[in-house]
Amino acid sequence: MSHEAALHNHEGHESHGHDDHGHHEHHDTFLTKYVFSQDHKMIAKQFLITGMVWAVLGGLMSVLFRLQLGYPDSSFPWLESLLGKWAKGGQITPAAYYALVTTHGTVLVFFVLTAGLSGTFANFLIPLQIGARDMASPFMNMLSYWFFFTASMIMLSSLFVETGPFSGGWTAYPPLSALHDASPGSKTGMDLWLISMALFVVSSLLGGLNYIATILNMRTKGMTMTRLPLTIWALFFTAVLGVLSFPVLLSGLILLIFDRNFGTSFYLSDIFVNGVGALSNEGGSAILYQHLFWFLGHPEVYIILLPALGMVSEIISVNSRKPIFGYMAMLGSLFSIAILAFLVWAHHMFVTGLNPFLGSVFVLLTLLIAIPSGIKVFNWLTTLWRGNIRFTPGMLFAIGFVSLFISGGLTGIWLGNAALDIYLHDSYFVVAHFHIVMGVASMFGMFAGVYHWYPKMYGRYLNNSLGYLHFWITFAGAYLIFWPMHYQGLAGMPRRYFDFSIWESFKQFADLNRFISTVAMIVFATQILFLINFFYSIFKGRKVTVLNPWEANTLEWTTPIRPGHGNWPGEIPEVHRWPYDYSKDGHDFIPQNTPVGEDESSTH
Amino acid sequence: MSTTTTASPNEAKLWEGGKSPFNSEYGKVMMWYFLMSDAFTFGAFLISYGTVRFSTNGWPDSNEVFRSFPFAPEGVHAPLVFVSIMTFILIISSVTMVLAVHAGKNMDKQGVVRNMILTIIGGIAFLSCQAWEWNHLFHEGAWWGANPFLNADGTASTTNFTNFFFTITGFHGFHVFSGVLINIIMLIMTLMDKFEQRGHYLMIEKAGLYWHFVDLVWVFVFTIFYLL
Amino acid sequence: MSHSHSDQEAHNAEAMAEIKKVTIILSVFTIVELILGFWMIGMTSAVLKLTIKGTIVILMMAKAFYIVAYFMHLKHEVKNLIMTIVVPLLLFVWFIGAFLWDGSSFRNLRNNYNPYFKEQATIKVEKKVEERKATDAKHEAAATKHETVETTHEATKPEVEPYY
Repeated sequence: MSHEAALHNHEGHESHGHDDHGHHEHHDTFLTKYVFSQDHKMIAKQFLITGMVWAVLGGLMSVLFRLQLGYPDSSFPWLESLLGKWAKGGQITPAAYYALVTTHGTVLVFFVLTAGLSGTFANFLIPLQIGARDMASPFMNMLSYWFFFTASMIMLSSLFVETGPFSGGWTAYPPLSALHDASPGSKTGMDLWLISMALFVVSSLLGGLNYIATILNMRTKGMTMTRLPLTIWALFFTAVLGVLSFPVLLSGLILLIFDRNFGTSFYLSDIFVNGVGALSNEGGSAILYQHLFWFLGHPEVYIILLPALGMVSEIISVNSRKPIFGYMAMLGSLFSIAILAFLVWAHHMFVTGLNPFLGSVFVLLTLLIAIPSGIKVFNWLTTLWRGNIRFTPGMLFAIGFVSLFISGGLTGIWLGNAALDIYLHDSYFVVAHFHIVMGVASMFGMFAGVYHWYPKMYGRYLNNSLGYLHFWITFAGAYLIFWPMHYQGLAGMPRRYFDFSIWESFKQFADLNRFISTVAMIVFATQILFLINFFYSIFKGRKVTVLNPWEANTLEWTTPIRPGHGNWPGEIPEVHRWPYDYSKDGHDFIPQNTPVGEDESSTH
Repeated sequence: MSTTTTASPNEAKLWEGGKSPFNSEYGKVMMWYFLMSDAFTFGAFLISYGTVRFSTNGWPDSNEVFRSFPFAPEGVHAPLVFVSIMTFILIISSVTMVLAVHAGKNMDKQGVVRNMILTIIGGIAFLSCQAWEWNHLFHEGAWWGANPFLNADGTASTTNFTNFFFTITGFHGFHVFSGVLINIIMLIMTLMDKFEQRGHYLMIEKAGLYWHFVDLVWVFVFTIFYLL
Repeated sequence: MSHSHSDQEAHNAEAMAEIKKVTIILSVFTIVELILGFWMIGMTSAVLKLTIKGTIVILMMAKAFYIVAYFMHLKHEVKNLIMTIVVPLLLFVWFIGAFLWDGSSFRNLRNNYNPYFKEQATIKVEKKVEERKATDAKHEAAATKHETVETTHEATKPEVEPYY
């Protein structure tokens, strides 16, 4: 009937769309090919490069505030030429320091590790690995990027306003974020921050809906859900997390906008402002904002982490020439991480006045996350075990990810306990924990993905020697920067402080802080090396000459070296097996589109 | 796959790739997940309302606040009457929307047009009622950041009652407004025979999902603000 | 899909009957809710009030079920779609539970440690009630916008058009 007909039409339309494209390709203008492109591969590259620009800016900000932390007594005249009144006399002002910390957090969490990571790889890998010509709605996909781009531009513009960007921490807690008079950054900077984040929520919603619908509806023939590569599963759960949690942030931000501009007091309870007096706003609850924020905020860290988990699983399996150990267990742990992500948000709020009994439930739920995380770690290790490992740069970054995930994850167990958290909260221990497990680990996942799929993106290889250099310096640097911070945190050093040299108890860390800052600058310089490698190789890198350079099983390697819009020139390949048939029956690898042989041992 | 064959054979086949596991085109799947997402937006608003109400000692009595009726004689207090009319308007418009979707499934253009017009009228009527109520409350001194009503126990109230009332009903009203716009576009497309040419009225079905969702949210808003 | 004509008609009649049934159910539930609401006006027994409120919440959930299942047609969809919609909605259980729990905890904290907050909940403010009665009597709207509880309105009341 009509419904059936529609479904049928839709499929018919699909193949037509492709045929059309054969003709269209010649008519593509610069604008439709590189700017307002609806090709998922181009959109992925747009996300990646925008993310890189933000990573450089965010990284540069961290270098600037590390400069202050490492050399609190020195002045650098060049800083004044760069930042003007924000670095009078060559030293960053406290207001600028807080603005830098805030913007560093916001852009790295949302723009680099959310949009830059899942935006890039969900767009790039989903259609290629499930065997689809493009996303379910290429137009919405394009909109998703341009909303993100607009959000970026607004955030960028907030750096240049008279009163500076928002400076109350990336979590934007009220009252700092709710009252214009709270700080210079709480004026226009905060308004721009709010608009930017609202647009970002729209972008991630458009993207997420597309990813979900594509993975569910557009899989090629034979691609059952349990034949999906783990990358796709991870990106699927990432999208689900985003679709269900970002709207809660949106609600929270809308209430915040009302508090700022329309005299409400959702988050304000009896506030007294110096020079203004008692505010008429009262009766609200600042903790409410924290609940709403962390209801997104905690799933957000898994939105950042899950794509890395998925890509690392795939890359480790390919480069160990072994099937991934415990595919269903990997799937189950992804699923349980996704569910638990929604149930544990208040462990960020143990010391805010949260009901301690409620807190104890959150402790229990939080510690449960250790189980699926442990399962994943052991599965990676057992996949590596006795594998025929190829240490490509991508593989090194994947293994580095596992290392960081373990070291950062273990400190999570400390922080998840409310009793320990009372001591450790807001200290450098927390900074070390989340930078290792969420920040650096996910960056490693992203690097692994870029090195691994670069040949598919640009038809050329990245330079290997530079890749190795990039890996080893970054890997050693990550530990050298963040490991000492655990000790600082245990010694009680609070995060977000401008200058530790005036505290007797923290003076002993002056040398350590200088050491950390120095390493941070070296690591930042190494990332520039990577960028040079990246952009140089787009034009001059070694050309890919074979279809399947890593000898991998997944479908993206069955496309031409430089696939056009529509991905496969002919029919979409049909899938006959799961993606992890490595070292099976005497074959090094058996791609997913190879039919099952007659005397083959039982398939997955 | 041994795990999937345990389901009924028909449904197991749906997951084999090359077609939708839900037997519906991607737009409908997207619409459903968008509505899930929107449910979390409204959920967050209503839960915030609950949280603030639970953390406050007193709260205004809704029957004291919402007791007016347009054109009613002076001094007449009619709690719940006006809002019940609004509720029924929305329920009826939901019914006409179902009828429109149903007509669409039967490729009955006349039925679609008739019921879409009724739905649009219902939506506009609801919005007018809301406009009247807002206007009335505004003239009583209620607005964002201003609450003239005392708590039910006679103590001084904070502004949170009106803050949440205007924010949440405003956000709902915004959804109704966009629903009406969508429905008008759907009506025009129907009149232009767009769906006849496509051979299906799936767009009406998706617009219907959105409209019912708006009705669904009102069920919660109505109960929570006016009854509880 | 080749249904015979009579099949089609039977199906239609069935669907129409279902729509009618659900419309009646929704209306009846709403009317019951309203009756309960009227009954609650002026009620003093807290226990009875809470029971009625609980009943209203159950009716609300039932209405939501009928709208989603029949109007949004979810009941007639493939089971997988139903599950992917319903299972994530279970997140609301903890979402609501934890938020409200912490909300009431915040009230207890303030009542225990903030004497001013506690005191405010005991002082009755008669004035505003009288004022409202007065405005009602005069059929005049009191434009009290952006004024705090303590200020008297008489002195500053702006001229507002009679409104009813």
